[in-house]
Amino acid sequence: MFEDLLAIREAALAELSRIETSDELTELSTSVLGRGGKLTAILRTMGKLSAEERAELGKRANAVKQELTEMFEERKAKLSEIAEQKRIEREAVDVTLPGVRRAVSAGALNPLTLVYREIRDALIGLGFTTFEGPEVEYDEYNFTLLNLPPNHPARDMQDTFYVNDKVLLRTHTSPCEARALKTLDLPFRLVIPGRCFRVDEPDASHSPVFMQMEGLVVDRNVSLADLKGTIDSFVKAVFGENVESRLRPSYFPFTEPSAEVDISCTICGGKGCSSCKGTGWMEIMGCGITNPHEIENCGHSSDEWRAFAWGVGVDRVACLKYGISDIRLIYEGDGRFLSQFK
Amino acid sequence: MKLPLKWLKEYVDFNVTPAEFSERMLLRGFEVAEIIPEMGPVDGVYVCEITAIEPHPNADKLRVCTVDVGKEEPLQIVTNATNVKVGDQVPVALDNAKLTGGLEIHPTKMRGVASAGMFCGSEELGITNVEYPGCENGGVMVFFEKHPNGQRIQEALDMDDCIFDIELTPNRPDCQSIIGICREAAAALGQSFREPDPRIVEGEGDCRDIARVTVENPYLCPRYTARVVTDLKIEPSPLWLQRKLKLVGLRPINNIVDITNLVLVEYGHPMHAFDLACVADSHIVVRNAKQDEIVYTLDGKERVMSDDMLLIADPTKGVGVAGVMGGLNSEITENTKATLFESAVFRPENIRSTARRLHHVTDSAARFIKGVEPVNAEKALARAIELVDELKAGKVMGGMIDVCAADLAEKQVTASVSHINEILNTDLSAEKMAELLGSINIPTEAIGDALSIRVPHFRTDIEDGIETDWDIAEEVGRLYGYTNIAPTLMRGDTFRGRVGRSFKDEDIVKDTMAALGCLELYNYNFISPKEIENLMIPENDERRKTVKLLNPFGEDQSLMRTELAGGLLRAAALNLNRKTGFGRFFEVGNIHFDNGDLPEERKMLGVIHTGAGEDFFTIKGTVEALFEKLGIERVRFEKGGSDYLHPTQKAIMTVNGEKLGEIGAVHPKVQRAFELSAPAYIAEIDFAMLRGNIARVRKYKPLPKYPAVQRDLALIVEDSMEAQQVIDVIEAAKARVLVENVRVFDVYRPKLPGDKGIPMGKKSMAFTFQLRSDDHTLTDEEIGQAVNTILKSLKFRLGAELRA
Repeated sequence: MFEDLLAIREAALAELSRIETSDELTELSTSVLGRGGKLTAILRTMGKLSAEERAELGKRANAVKQELTEMFEERKAKLSEIAEQKRIEREAVDVTLPGVRRAVSAGALNPLTLVYREIRDALIGLGFTTFEGPEVEYDEYNFTLLNLPPNHPARDMQDTFYVNDKVLLRTHTSPCEARALKTLDLPFRLVIPGRCFRVDEPDASHSPVFMQMEGLVVDRNVSLADLKGTIDSFVKAVFGENVESRLRPSYFPFTEPSAEVDISCTICGGKGCSSCKGTGWMEIMGCGITNPHEIENCGHSSDEWRAFAWGVGVDRVACLKYGISDIRLIYEGDGRFLSQFK
Repeated sequence: MKLPLKWLKEYVDFNVTPAEFSERMLLRGFEVAEIIPEMGPVDGVYVCEITAIEPHPNADKLRVCTVDVGKEEPLQIVTNATNVKVGDQVPVALDNAKLTGGLEIHPTKMRGVASAGMFCGSEELGITNVEYPGCENGGVMVFFEKHPNGQRIQEALDMDDCIFDIELTPNRPDCQSIIGICREAAAALGQSFREPDPRIVEGEGDCRDIARVTVENPYLCPRYTARVVTDLKIEPSPLWLQRKLKLVGLRPINNIVDITNLVLVEYGHPMHAFDLACVADSHIVVRNAKQDEIVYTLDGKERVMSDDMLLIADPTKGVGVAGVMGGLNSEITENTKATLFESAVFRPENIRSTARRLHHVTDSAARFIKGVEPVNAEKALARAIELVDELKAGKVMGGMIDVCAADLAEKQVTASVSHINEILNTDLSAEKMAELLGSINIPTEAIGDALSIRVPHFRTDIEDGIETDWDIAEEVGRLYGYTNIAPTLMRGDTFRGRVGRSFKDEDIVKDTMAALGCLELYNYNFISPKEIENLMIPENDERRKTVKLLNPFGEDQSLMRTELAGGLLRAAALNLNRKTGFGRFFEVGNIHFDNGDLPEERKMLGVIHTGAGEDFFTIKGTVEALFEKLGIERVRFEKGGSDYLHPTQKAIMTVNGEKLGEIGAVHPKVQRAFELSAPAYIAEIDFAMLRGNIARVRKYKPLPKYPAVQRDLALIVEDSMEAQQVIDVIEAAKARVLVENVRVFDVYRPKLPGDKGIPMGKKSMAFTFQLRSDDHTLTDEEIGQAVNTILKSLKFRLGAELRA
């Protein structure tokens, strides 16, 4: 019986080496390992054997079964690899043939792009120019130059993704302020869009990747009143003439005085509703007069130059403007969402 | 920061509604996130008196009570409580009442008898013996003093106030205390602030005779004050103290712990109490830890210290991690006889780094990180000792240990009135500014254009230096009210605003992609290491030079992407799975390559097509349309490209020999790895290269004066021949006339031997082109010659035959 077992193994292996299609393989597998297969047949005859012989045969038969199963699987993978290779060859195209222009329905820009352009275009009219900087930044530009030295407690306000102790993913577009102050001729008015990153677990109102737009005005005589006027004019451009804005005191290390900007609730118009928690106002961004340390850190005299700046979350504005209830939709890529912004 | 209205009322006359108070605080920079009623959600519960009790006709365990709730008609309440009798006053929840745990009460029938509501126990009301002694009786709460029937439970228990949950900005650590926030609240309410001043208690003996403190690192510990209490009696605190702690959400423990907690809340200054018997030689040494020195903290954990961390020690061992947590070996226990109260100042940056590295930012550490100051340390200590005395918790020794390297003198700063008015664009007088600052206890004198300001110890945020005018402008502006500053438009030089060229180019590309039916994606920049494998990116490929995050959300978002393909594929898979019917997407985004310093940042355009009707040529059509829009001519498509693309359906796009990007079907293996139910087609284009080839200057070309003739050629070529090879030869043939607009318009492969006379292994390709001259109309002879030259060239160079 042990000889029979050996013979089955040899025969199966010989057969296997000749096989070229997966159909043949299935057939072979069934004829050897299947319920009515040769191996099973041997095991059926075990009743005649002594207990020891039975145990030994069972052991060996299982070893053969396992070996064959593995070899069949291996061959199966190989065959489908070969089949795929053949298919790939069959599918060859002449890549130099002209492309086909299909008539399809219009695509759409992401709401982030739409809102960014609206804010940008409102500011261009006020004399602003576009500027940009890298997404992966030096700690020095993201924090230190902006009046946030290492281990400053206010660094905890922005949970940061680090690459190493000197390099990080920018947590705001503000490092571009330092880049602009160090490289451009003063005075200037800049609008700086870009992706930013914070260690925020994604939820309906947070995304670890988000888009911010920085505004930065450097001149000799700008004031908090100018900041108010500038912000009010782009708030009206984006949300409509009847939307009011207000500033209220806050704190950011890079500005002083600092303020939060509220706009009258876009849902209820300021009467108070659940969206604005009954206050009539919605917070949209932070702003302020640039801290003199930042001006000095970047090589200018704070006696001579004064600046104001803000950073607005484009995502947040998009959510408010379009009534998007979950910020994750913006990044998820579902066509049924994206196609609504034609 | 939780500010109970009850505490506020101790120091300030409160004369407005909670909502009005919140609004005023908001406009001064203190946002009240929530106004929490003192009894939380409990509502609709009243005092009632039980006037009669009858057995329930259908239930032994229930009783039917008649109650007086102060209305004309009595009410009937069915209860299972056994601890009430006629004449008792108890709380009753009536229709629509709300209790803790989201419980709502409505009139109901209990075993056939109507009940207008429910008697309440302490648990349903969310109170304990601390708020009302004896209320935790296991049954219905019974009032032990007389109340008017129908009185709201909040009034009856004197729990009708609220708690303001106030968000603080990091520049105001002083307001992380009841006293600090009440100072601001008083100004907001226009009331005077009755600032408490702890009584200095001096007992027998001088603690300096029995205990010592040595500060070895005065930079990290600018001040260390301590006092000693002997004959300690550890016991529960009096109810008034327990109630106060519970108002701010703290659990009463024992008198000494409660005292330090109360002082922390009142003064914002963390303190620690050591068992003096456990401090060797009664000698506290504040020093840097030795590298790998081990301290067991109060929570029983082993803390391995580094030599830049500050340790509280005695001459033989560590007894606490400075500012973070006390040591287990010197903990106050029931057997403690004498204690040393520590009230110290530690450097915030150092505590921040220690607490973070020990992964243990305790309440105490959080305060030190926000910043505490040395004068307040002494006040907090005095207050603790005052409480010890008041609670008779022990015998206070005289004297105070004070190791102080900090400058305790008040800063004197000067600010410019005109500069502040310039910053704010206001016209406030020096006197007005002085008055505003005075309202929050910043004593200010107006001297001409200058404000002479004595900065109180608690205002550590006001700097003496270049920032002073801005600091003061912030205070003046805040107190005057930002809403009172009229908005203006900028004056001075005018500027020519402009959208930079790179931004404009991006606009055009995005608009064109949208016009070609694509939806715009913003994919996350984070990818998984698995994505690199799934895209079959080879070893040594630059796309393996990923930027790795030190603190990602998880392994699967630990790298910055080096390609857009993965994100495009994930979006395509999502849309196929959800059967959205949308299959065309694009993204303009950055990829990053690690190069040791700031990574190389490269902007890319990625396009994907998937779903019915899409193939290699439809995505090629899309990018060709983009190139056309941008005026980029003569882009060549040459076989080849990344491994993630289908081996026989991919091409590298070049212009003037430089690589613009890649295009192709997605490799079947990749399609499986990204679980796409249909083939997908991708193009990735280097945005800078794309921009660099945009036709910026468009010049008019004169229209041809002489007509062109069109010729078509059907050729028999090798099956592997590419149309581009033929076009290149046609264009390069020395035809002596202009050969223009060469295009392939038909390809036919024989299906069987002899099919349309085309041998197997060959195919027919039909081309069309125009022949023209700039200076005359071509003659038939010229045309014939040109076509012949072209055909000869095709035969010679490609072995192409004219199809019969």
